[in-house]
Amino acid sequence: MSLEKITNPFNARHWIGHMEADYVYTLGVAGERFFKEIKENGKIMGAKCQKCNITYVPPRMYCEKCFEKLKEWVDIGKKGVVHTFTIATIDINGEKLEKPTIYALIKFDGTCGGIIHKIDETDTVYIGMEVEAVLKPSNERKASINDIAYFKPAK
Amino acid sequence: MTEVAIVGVGCVGFRQITPELSYKELMYEAAVKAYEDAGGINPRKDVDVFVTCAEDYLEGFSIFDEFVPDQLGAALRHLFTVSGDGMLGLATAYMLIKTGQFDTVVVEAHSKASDILTYMDIVAFGLDPIFNRPLGGHPYYVAGMEMNRYMHDTCTTMEQCASVVVKNKKNAILNPYAAYGAGVTIDQVLCSETCFYPLKKLEISNPADGCVVMVLASENVAEKLTDKPVWVKGVGWCTETPSLETMDWTKAVYTRLAAEMAYKTAKISNPLKEIDFAEIHDLFAYKELQHMEALKLCDYGEAGKLTEQGLTALDGEFPVNPSGGLLGMGYGLEASGMQKLLEVVLQLRGEAGKRQIQDAEVGLAHTWRGIPTTTGVVAVLSNKK
Repeated sequence: MSLEKITNPFNARHWIGHMEADYVYTLGVAGERFFKEIKENGKIMGAKCQKCNITYVPPRMYCEKCFEKLKEWVDIGKKGVVHTFTIATIDINGEKLEKPTIYALIKFDGTCGGIIHKIDETDTVYIGMEVEAVLKPSNERKASINDIAYFKPAK
Repeated sequence: MTEVAIVGVGCVGFRQITPELSYKELMYEAAVKAYEDAGGINPRKDVDVFVTCAEDYLEGFSIFDEFVPDQLGAALRHLFTVSGDGMLGLATAYMLIKTGQFDTVVVEAHSKASDILTYMDIVAFGLDPIFNRPLGGHPYYVAGMEMNRYMHDTCTTMEQCASVVVKNKKNAILNPYAAYGAGVTIDQVLCSETCFYPLKKLEISNPADGCVVMVLASENVAEKLTDKPVWVKGVGWCTETPSLETMDWTKAVYTRLAAEMAYKTAKISNPLKEIDFAEIHDLFAYKELQHMEALKLCDYGEAGKLTEQGLTALDGEFPVNPSGGLLGMGYGLEASGMQKLLEVVLQLRGEAGKRQIQDAEVGLAHTWRGIPTTTGVVAVLSNKK
């Protein structure tokens, strides 16, 4: 047995591979409407199951409880409550972030689900905090979840 | 219907890196050990079905299942791949043998985590592409959010979460299959970097390389191959939802339902009394506590306190993660369920060396597929038929 052992995988013979995989993710009927409403009307919408009396956020095409197709759309407003949050101090490569990012799940009154997003314009954040969505200017919206720039403490 | 037993186990690893072995050689070495352990069976003729568990993105192959037969002795034999944790492979093998059509089934899962240069990007690719992924960032923010809500709802303390790390890393010192054994203090854990408030750096398991192969057999065959069969008394599995927006952020519902399924088959009504120890998925320290509650080993919100009091220590009344868990062994990706099973088998055979739990008769293995999944598998095993 050799006394010198390889401790860095790059020092062993190897081949570096790269897997390129690009996709187009179809928004679907419910997603299309959700993002169109944010982009064009600045509204956050949910889809309501009349049978189960559940409003899904983000909206979807069918009810996961009774499997019925959802047809009713409801404006859920822009104010919600922080259900849980975290403060990330490192980026995906493990590097320290210059400014920590607050991620939160925001729940909306009377709805099932919520929106995962960032919180900004605040020094404090806590579970139960009331927040409101800050939308990007309408000419910068691209029908993406990032059309909501972030959430901030509600006035 | 026949009973099902684990009759052979083989493990290579777990280590931070394995630069001297390719993934095929890693699998080959674990397989050779497992076949030898199962009374020296010949995989070329004595095995009916081979089940491997792997996820393409973690392997760097599309259609990875095509690349697995030869190193297991399964070329031109009957093999398929389950795209998931090794314990889903156990569940599959269990069902195959229960049908009465197959007597001997091999299950394999491995991790060559050190080969993956962009692991976190793969984890992030598991997030919903429309509602979550565009936010960017390190995907473990999901764990920080879950830990925060879990602590909020259960009044579990930072010290209690940190005590899981202290216990598991200490157990791992006694485990030759563990890569991250260490003597750490609660203060050291709490003083480590807060990566995703309230989650600390030392509360996050680090990836490790390794492979576990197991041979399962029907009752008749098992008793011919070994005098130490470990019987699979019950298996259960469940997925809650892929939607972070609607999942339960406090309770591990998927684990509760998987446990109920396994307990029903195993006829367990009081798990804490009828089971002697457990191997529980601890990718993050708080997950061991949350999963303990979901497994009905204690009341909701009690796991932290009980851990602090020493219930789950190696010399406690109900040891949890005597192997050192993933915090101590290293996170073997899709092999993490097999790491759990391996320890349960070794303990039930009385082969766990310095970490042996005296008179262990019934053990529980539990796994979870990590962030951002809500999939869990539970198995109850016993050295008594």
